[in-house]
Amino acid sequence: MSHQLGRLVSQILQRYFGEIVEKVGNDLFMYGIKPIGMIMKTTGLPRTQVIESLRTLLKFDLAKFESTSGNVDYKLLPDNVLVLIRYPRYLLQMKSKYGTEAELIVEELLQRAACSATLLLVSIANKYKDDTEKNLTIVTLKDTFISLATATYIQQAPVAQLKDGSDIPDLVQVASIVPDLDTRLLMQAMVNPADIKDNVYWKVNYDRFHQDFTDEIMINAMTRRIDDDAGEVMRLLIQEMYLSSSAWAEESNVVALTDLREHASRLKDRPLLQQHLEHYLKVMEENGAGFIRRAGDAGGGQYSVQVKWAARQLVESVLDHVVTERLGSKAARIFRLIRAKKYIEEEDIQKNAMLPNKECKQLTYKLLEEHFVSVQPMRKSQQVSGTQKGIYLYHVKLFDVVHVCREMCYRALHNLSRARSQLVSVHARALDKQRRVRTIVHGMRLRSEPQKNIDDVLETLTPPEVSLLAQVEKQLKQLSAAELELDRNLFILNWYLVYP
Amino acid sequence: MSAKSEDAIQDKIINAIKKIPKGISAAQMAAVVPELSSAELVGAINKLLQQGLIDLYKQNGTLIYKLKNQSTQQIVKGADNEEKVVYNLIEEAANKGIWIREIRNQSNLSNPQLTKILKSLESKKLIKAVKCVNASKKKVYMLYNLEPDRSISGGAWYQDQDFESEFVDILNRQCLRFLQQRADKIRNNPRGPIAGRTQSYATAVEVQKYITDLGISKVKLEVEDVITILNTLVYDGKAESNVYPDGSKVYRAIESLIPPPGLVQVPCGVCPLLHKCYSTGLITPQDCKYMTEWLEQ
Repeated sequence: MSHQLGRLVSQILQRYFGEIVEKVGNDLFMYGIKPIGMIMKTTGLPRTQVIESLRTLLKFDLAKFESTSGNVDYKLLPDNVLVLIRYPRYLLQMKSKYGTEAELIVEELLQRAACSATLLLVSIANKYKDDTEKNLTIVTLKDTFISLATATYIQQAPVAQLKDGSDIPDLVQVASIVPDLDTRLLMQAMVNPADIKDNVYWKVNYDRFHQDFTDEIMINAMTRRIDDDAGEVMRLLIQEMYLSSSAWAEESNVVALTDLREHASRLKDRPLLQQHLEHYLKVMEENGAGFIRRAGDAGGGQYSVQVKWAARQLVESVLDHVVTERLGSKAARIFRLIRAKKYIEEEDIQKNAMLPNKECKQLTYKLLEEHFVSVQPMRKSQQVSGTQKGIYLYHVKLFDVVHVCREMCYRALHNLSRARSQLVSVHARALDKQRRVRTIVHGMRLRSEPQKNIDDVLETLTPPEVSLLAQVEKQLKQLSAAELELDRNLFILNWYLVYP
Repeated sequence: MSAKSEDAIQDKIINAIKKIPKGISAAQMAAVVPELSSAELVGAINKLLQQGLIDLYKQNGTLIYKLKNQSTQQIVKGADNEEKVVYNLIEEAANKGIWIREIRNQSNLSNPQLTKILKSLESKKLIKAVKCVNASKKKVYMLYNLEPDRSISGGAWYQDQDFESEFVDILNRQCLRFLQQRADKIRNNPRGPIAGRTQSYATAVEVQKYITDLGISKVKLEVEDVITILNTLVYDGKAESNVYPDGSKVYRAIESLIPPPGLVQVPCGVCPLLHKCYSTGLITPQDCKYMTEWLEQ
């Protein structure tokens, strides 16, 4: 909960929900927990608008409410607000793993926040009824939905329960039951959407996606460090890990070599892996940055995945990159040296880093100034005397440094978002015109008017305008891509912070 | 006793002392020349001492005799007692050198006197002053013909007390190149990952040979020097080290676990003004020059 996070949250809320929600959200962020009356007072908004904003926030899980002695207090969930910019990544994940149908389902569900299965499927099917390219049928949609629910990418939304003598509901988590949807009923609902009586609501399970992301990062890291087959071994290990360990365990339960070999034997396209599975495990244990550990010898060898350690290694890798880019590779060398030696004196840094004294000192102080390293003074005696030379031990407080880096990410994200809104507002007129022309052309195409008329409308956009718009579009794309990358960066940092 | 037999006895004694450089005790001395009475022996030894050929030390309560070395002998000619004392102190310090203050403390000589003596010894090219790399103002004295110790001169990386960072950089790069040539062997090696890993490892000796063959270094680099360079590579995150069962260190070039993260791909991640950037004021994201340049690329 920092000032930077607050700026970022309000920027995101403004972009996705507009000014009023942003005002309410920002107010909640600044004061923590607040009832409606207080929000009205500080924001100066009418009651209806405040209620409307809170409803939006609650619907998308960006805020929560708690009741204490008849009063209802509201609280913003800033972490969930940040998830809003991660949506494209979820969709990409779905598309690459389950195909277009899954992407559409998740997209629709994210837009609606919570929705009943029947309504969701029917509305998607109706939306793309005429789209021959996608070739959707309600049956494939239904099957995809069921497989998504089975894989817990989507789960049942919490159910509101009223306690006796109180009109404030409690949201109770319910276990998800994979629905048994009747195709014939779905077909009927497509014709007659008003008749839908399904009242089991579903929502996207972010946590499941995040697990996928962490797995992917670990597998890619192994691929980079050793080779593709090692990445494949990592994938097998992670698969096995989920069968027996809880989702965010610090260290997985042991996986037996025999199980791994059985899975590896199914991978026909990787003969090397099958031949040298044990060797791969050994090399990964010794040279794989400590991602896996040999836990025992039973059954030919047991291995466990050190998830917490892996997160630490990855975060260190991120920090190394950041220090390299900000202060240069020499500073990164000092940073890594201090981390490797735990506590180290200034003179020893100079000796080990092989840098000229002056440069080394300067870089060390620069690192200290940017809060990448910390210093611990040691005194031999209690008395402070001028003649005695103090010992200053440099060290890296990883937890603190991660926070520093996270703040920088927040700042950068805020700045990007700000630059984006600036860009849009500067070129608002041109963008608006382009949108109008597009709608008109779309309408004309639907009415199948002659091409000549369409061209006439298109020509209302002058060539300089077209080139300007192309440039703006490119810049907006660049900004979105950078935002996604930053979000990936933040994800690794937050992953490390998950483990206490 | 004739002069000739006296010389013979002296030679005998010196030869005996030469055999045992640690020095021999009085009893051993008596055994060497049994034909002499103790009074005659004392006389002979006194003569040798006077000539400055041998030295007398007291060790664990017994007297031992040692041969004086040649250079000590040389200085003795035309040097007074103070010079001898100072010279001996400097000699004892060997190639580590001795600080002027310590000479003063141990010799009990006054400051001007000591400076004079040191100057005269220096002018005779018997001793030399060497600047210390750790403390630029500190001068240490050692015998003229000695090579300064690494802790004083800083080893191969120093030229006249200046750290040669360019030299270190070049070596660093060359070592990395050597390691990288082998690094790819681990990828999809048909003989399995362990064989691949062994092929991708390089020992410090191999790297040293490669560097010597390249001929980029004027000074001869020891294996330890190369290990220091390789360690900087480890601290650069470009290599990892491991130990073979026989205790020798091996190195392997590695890649970072992740590609450059998002933060360093945006201008803010490398912006020196990031911590001064606010919504209002002189530095704002709205009219950030870096951001505009980045967008217009």
